[in-house]
Amino acid sequence: MSMRAEGKDNMAFLEVKGIEKSFGRTEVLKGIDFSMEKGEVLAIIGSSGSGKTTLLRCLNFLETPDKGSISVNGDVMFDCEEAPYSDSAKREKRLHFGLVFQSFNLFPQYNVLRNISLAPELRQIRGRKLSKAEKKKIRADIDENSRRLLDTVGLAAKTYNYPCELSGGQQQRVAIARALALNPDILCFDEPTSALDPELTGEVLRVIRELKNSDRTMIVVTHEMNFARGVADKVIFMADGVIEEYGSPDEVFGDPKSPVTKAFLEKSLENI
Amino acid sequence: MSFWEVTKQLADGFGVTLMIFGITLAASLPLGLIMTFGSMSKIPPIKWLVKIFVWIIRGTPLMLQIILIFYGPGLLGLEIKLPRMTAVIIAFIINYSCYFSEIFRGGIESIPKGQYEAGQVLGMTKTQIFFKVVLFQVIKRIVPPMGNEIITLVKDTSLARVIAVTELVKAAERIVTLKGLIWPLFYIGAFYLLFSALLTFLLNLAEKKMNYYSI
Amino acid sequence: MKKKIFALLMGAVMCMSCMGLGGCSSDNNNSSGANSSSGANSSNADNSGADSDNSNSGAAGDSDWDYILNKGEVVVGITYYEPMNYFDDNGELVGFETEFTKAVCKKLGVTPVFQEIEWEKKEVELQSKAIDLIWNGLTVTEDRKENMAFSKTYLNNKQVIIVKTENADKYTDTASMAGTSIAFESGSAGEDAAKADETLAGCDLIGCSAQKDALLEVKAGTADLGILDYTLAKASIGEGTDYSDIQIIDSVELASEQYAVGVRLGDTETLAKINGAIDELAQDGTLLDLAKKYGVDDIYAL
Repeated sequence: MSMRAEGKDNMAFLEVKGIEKSFGRTEVLKGIDFSMEKGEVLAIIGSSGSGKTTLLRCLNFLETPDKGSISVNGDVMFDCEEAPYSDSAKREKRLHFGLVFQSFNLFPQYNVLRNISLAPELRQIRGRKLSKAEKKKIRADIDENSRRLLDTVGLAAKTYNYPCELSGGQQQRVAIARALALNPDILCFDEPTSALDPELTGEVLRVIRELKNSDRTMIVVTHEMNFARGVADKVIFMADGVIEEYGSPDEVFGDPKSPVTKAFLEKSLENI
Repeated sequence: MSFWEVTKQLADGFGVTLMIFGITLAASLPLGLIMTFGSMSKIPPIKWLVKIFVWIIRGTPLMLQIILIFYGPGLLGLEIKLPRMTAVIIAFIINYSCYFSEIFRGGIESIPKGQYEAGQVLGMTKTQIFFKVVLFQVIKRIVPPMGNEIITLVKDTSLARVIAVTELVKAAERIVTLKGLIWPLFYIGAFYLLFSALLTFLLNLAEKKMNYYSI
Repeated sequence: MKKKIFALLMGAVMCMSCMGLGGCSSDNNNSSGANSSSGANSSNADNSGADSDNSNSGAAGDSDWDYILNKGEVVVGITYYEPMNYFDDNGELVGFETEFTKAVCKKLGVTPVFQEIEWEKKEVELQSKAIDLIWNGLTVTEDRKENMAFSKTYLNNKQVIIVKTENADKYTDTASMAGTSIAFESGSAGEDAAKADETLAGCDLIGCSAQKDALLEVKAGTADLGILDYTLAKASIGEGTDYSDIQIIDSVELASEQYAVGVRLGDTETLAKINGAIDELAQDGTLLDLAKKYGVDDIYAL
């Protein structure tokens, strides 16, 4: 017990070590190491195909790394020595992470409220012997929490609307609320504004900023350089499956060490 | 023969038509779903066996299948003797299971990967994802092609007469040859039309019910 | 399970494609119960049953008589048509062939089961043992002898020309029919008859898929004349039918043909039993009485 407590003291909140992943002969991740502390916001930037989305998917068990380990708060989430994990083990472990997709992936047949409450309800009621009253209580709690989250993302007025009736920005905010409903330790965003019209990105970024203010630990894969610079505590620049540059926003954006980073940032600025 | 007598005789034939329709539909839907799982199986032998079977059944006329199932065993010298109606129903169930399974497969495969992944990252089990997330969207997608197939089934029942099962068309043909009346042959169109109208109404109702959202 | 079904299907496909090809090419008959034939114009009015009996006696081991006796019933393939096998006003199956069949079966001590079939599949029905006999105004033809054995001939049928009553006066012989349109069933004895006559062959010939379609053509006025089986024509037209305004042109006679019972090829024992019973019924006058009862005595052949 004391060993473990000690370990925790020495380890960062999230420790990612030596992650490698190949699809067939293509090496997508060639050894990724980084760590982050609780309450931090980490931005991952880089050109398409640099492996940032794959890294995020590895954290969320949508892909299984070939090598390496991941631990959260001292608990091993993934270790290639222990893999493969059973489906139920994966289900437990992935709940430390939440994921907001580029394309929202809301459930179209459910209204906004149901989109948020479905997963917690399934999770808390499945396989447990509960009386009707207990179930009712659980449902009521989840319902209340879902409404509160909806309020947080500023969509209380859309509680009973269906996803197809919402704008992209509103859908993405619902998706954020849905991910928060399971109260993950680390909330991941996979290019959350890439599928949005430019005028709708603001509302989503604003929500993420508010979450930072309430000390959410977040990893954001993004193309929004200004956002990364303004909101992130740490920035990772990825290129060709490795971390090319790591540091504070000022370090990465203001004084990049690597020529690859420099070239990328110059190009990004040109585009703007 | 009076209009009433003809109607009564045709109603008997229509009863057979409805029976073929009803039993085929009731059995082919679940069987088709099982075949879908087979054709999407991760075990190659099962997958290919089902796929080849579906290919053969969809690639040959239903009429031929009815003939084979009824006459085949006897021609091969086997002792199995199926009653005509049984042979018809077996052929129809096999045929329609294959068509339905392809519709199901198309429906399931048309669901974006993101829906499964969203379920996964929310900690749902595979079963929960299928029943709570995917299935309903599949149903919405397959109602229109399913409707087509079901309406086709109504009319396909007339193929039963190739082995002399007296369904509606055969019943009318019998009146034509025996009583020298021609009009019953056209009168049966009304039976088919009314029944298809009823089915179309029900299918539209189902479609409307699911119209509250779009995928 | 699926493998078995698959194997059975594949096997059956091969089987059927062989038989189906053979059967189809030799038989273009219809499903309506109007039984005519191709190449029926044979001149041997003698006992064709004995003929086929001899030609197929080599396969004596294939007798189905024990099989039929075991079942206790003989399945007789028929199509419904007057006056051969049809329903009376009480819904009872009657007709010349119905009563004839029953009389023969009574002599042989088996129960007849009448099974409606699709006429163009009669050979497959017989070979697959779905039925045991074809007994439904079956015309003896050389082609059919490839697929079945025939009993004694008991009726001589003929082809007749039908016309709308209002036009009946115009046609007294084939010469007066020049330039008309004539409907008949494709591949039937009617077609052969039309093509055999010099005048008729030069007319506008309309091949239909069934004899009843030829009736429809005449009724609808899309054809001036139709060629049909005599027995079928007699039963289908006249009072109380939709064809009451159609009549037979009595003054013109076309090809004639013979009716017999069809038995599985090589089953000499059943064939001999049936021929024996037919002889007995012919000798004691029962058969002629039946023919008179159903108005086919004018073509009685025994």
